[in-house]
Amino acid sequence: MLTIPTRAEVVRQVRERGERVAAVLPIHYPRALLRAHGFQPMEVWGPPSVSVVEGNAHFQAYTCGIVRNATSFLLQGGLDAADVIVIPHTCDALQGMASVLKDFIEPRQPVATIYLPRAARSADRGFLQAELHRLAQQLAEISGRSPSGGELMAAIEREEEADRELGALAEHRSEIDLGDRDYFTLLRAREFLPAESFIELARSAPRGRGPDRGVPLMISGIVPEPMDLFDHINEMGAHVVADDLACCSRRLYRPGSASDPFERMADALLGGPLDPTRGSPILERARAVASRMAQCGAKGLLVYDVKFCEPELFDVPLLRKHLTEAGLSMLHVEFDMTGSIAQQTLTRIEAFVEMLQ
Amino acid sequence: MGEAKWIGIDAGSTTCKAVAVDAAGDLIASRIEPAHPVIEDQAARLVDELRAEAGAGGEVPVVATGYGRKLVRGATRNITEITCHARGVFRALKQPGMLVDIGGQDTKVIVIGPGGRAVDFMMNDKCAAGTGRFLEHSAARLSVAIEDLGPRALGAVGEESISSTCTVFAESEIISLVARGAKVDAILLGLHRSLISRVVAMIHSVGLRSPLMLSGGVARNLAARAMLEQATGQKLHLPEHPQLMGAYGAALVGLESGADR
Repeated sequence: MLTIPTRAEVVRQVRERGERVAAVLPIHYPRALLRAHGFQPMEVWGPPSVSVVEGNAHFQAYTCGIVRNATSFLLQGGLDAADVIVIPHTCDALQGMASVLKDFIEPRQPVATIYLPRAARSADRGFLQAELHRLAQQLAEISGRSPSGGELMAAIEREEEADRELGALAEHRSEIDLGDRDYFTLLRAREFLPAESFIELARSAPRGRGPDRGVPLMISGIVPEPMDLFDHINEMGAHVVADDLACCSRRLYRPGSASDPFERMADALLGGPLDPTRGSPILERARAVASRMAQCGAKGLLVYDVKFCEPELFDVPLLRKHLTEAGLSMLHVEFDMTGSIAQQTLTRIEAFVEMLQ
Repeated sequence: MGEAKWIGIDAGSTTCKAVAVDAAGDLIASRIEPAHPVIEDQAARLVDELRAEAGAGGEVPVVATGYGRKLVRGATRNITEITCHARGVFRALKQPGMLVDIGGQDTKVIVIGPGGRAVDFMMNDKCAAGTGRFLEHSAARLSVAIEDLGPRALGAVGEESISSTCTVFAESEIISLVARGAKVDAILLGLHRSLISRVVAMIHSVGLRSPLMLSGGVARNLAARAMLEQATGQKLHLPEHPQLMGAYGAALVGLESGADR
């Protein structure tokens, strides 16, 4: 059994080291840039168990739960420990959240944004590098710390090492002797642990024969909340053999080779796994998902989406079409970002498992 | 009538159904009644009644389905309604194809493969719009008996468009239409159109297949049937007991499991 510190414990440790905390909204951002400027990224994927009264007051009912919950969490003091809030332009909802925070809520912490291109042409690389320089300048103004090129490169290499460990966990799931919930808790520790701590944790994961019970599923979506989901899936007679989750495997960035740190960070962000929030072509994505399913023996794909997540939902009909043509089964369900899963949703997943048995 | 071998219980949101099958899988006894809030007691009573009717004493095993399936005491298994509807309709109509089940709380579109296995499905997951509850709620607002909904909609002269995609907002729309002097039958026709358009959208999400089959309480509604046929261009195939298919399928799953009492 692995011992994984909580976010609160990590925040305390970061503070004790005299470092700062950056609350970061999903999905893609330059971790190394934050670390080099003295900020430990603490990702905010909801969280699911907060009252959403405050968030609901600022956003339309059809805005995704991550944005509404995160705004509520901020207004309830949940992000008080953060010195900066970083909001990548992942989707319209998160861009809207950045605007609402800057223009209306005006939190105590500065709000930094980063615009991510939806393609990977040379112009996109140039744009993203300029964005990273702009963010670096903003972080330097907040922290009063301007890392040297060497310091920045050291941070990049440390994050690349952590990504390699994350990739090894994903690649060799069948050899990780952890149940689904513990396994995904380990992967998700990358959301808030410093790279060096994550590397140590990942290397200490028990190896052996992984769980092999019931129907093998692959899971896709943004974030698997609440984590009880995995207990339910196991009780239904299935287990999760691979993922295409935005919080996990969609962030297996390839190590770069450029000597310029900004070029290297931009290359990593633009060259990451296929992801609808980065505008990846659906046919390529469907092929990659099908290939991964075949590789890990998944009998079905569970697409577990936060309700009203537009980038995900736009892909669903064509993903279904392409997977069906490839003879693969897919179930799409949506969930509210709350502390429990609706019975209707569980019934659908259970029926899917029955169908695949 | 053969002796009961298995009992299936479908503890649905609107009605609770129970079915007994004999060794050949034929439906030999059934019960259907409005769902009681205390599912455990209602299911136990229905099982006792069927056991008594089928003369099999207290030993007939039970498989439960429906949203209340996990509350049925003494059930040897509980299985989702998707699997059970597929199995029941396949046995009743003796063919694979696409099943539309419009129930009280949800609507299911199920692709039934060889042997009666569900091979794909979709359920409405937004709200009550697109389910039997939508019609039930609207009928109550218009003081029309459920069994009169279909015939009155089919006999309507003209049609009022219902644009709301939510049962509650549709009720507001109905109130406005009534206040404006719209004919009740024309409103009913519009309500059916609204319901069917949502069901057809689900059908196309999965991919329309033939033959198209219909089960659930709304299968008794003539207007819904006619409009679904019109919207899909498919002739609808209905089992003899469309409301009992979930419970029937549950009993068949028990029978097919090979575990005899």
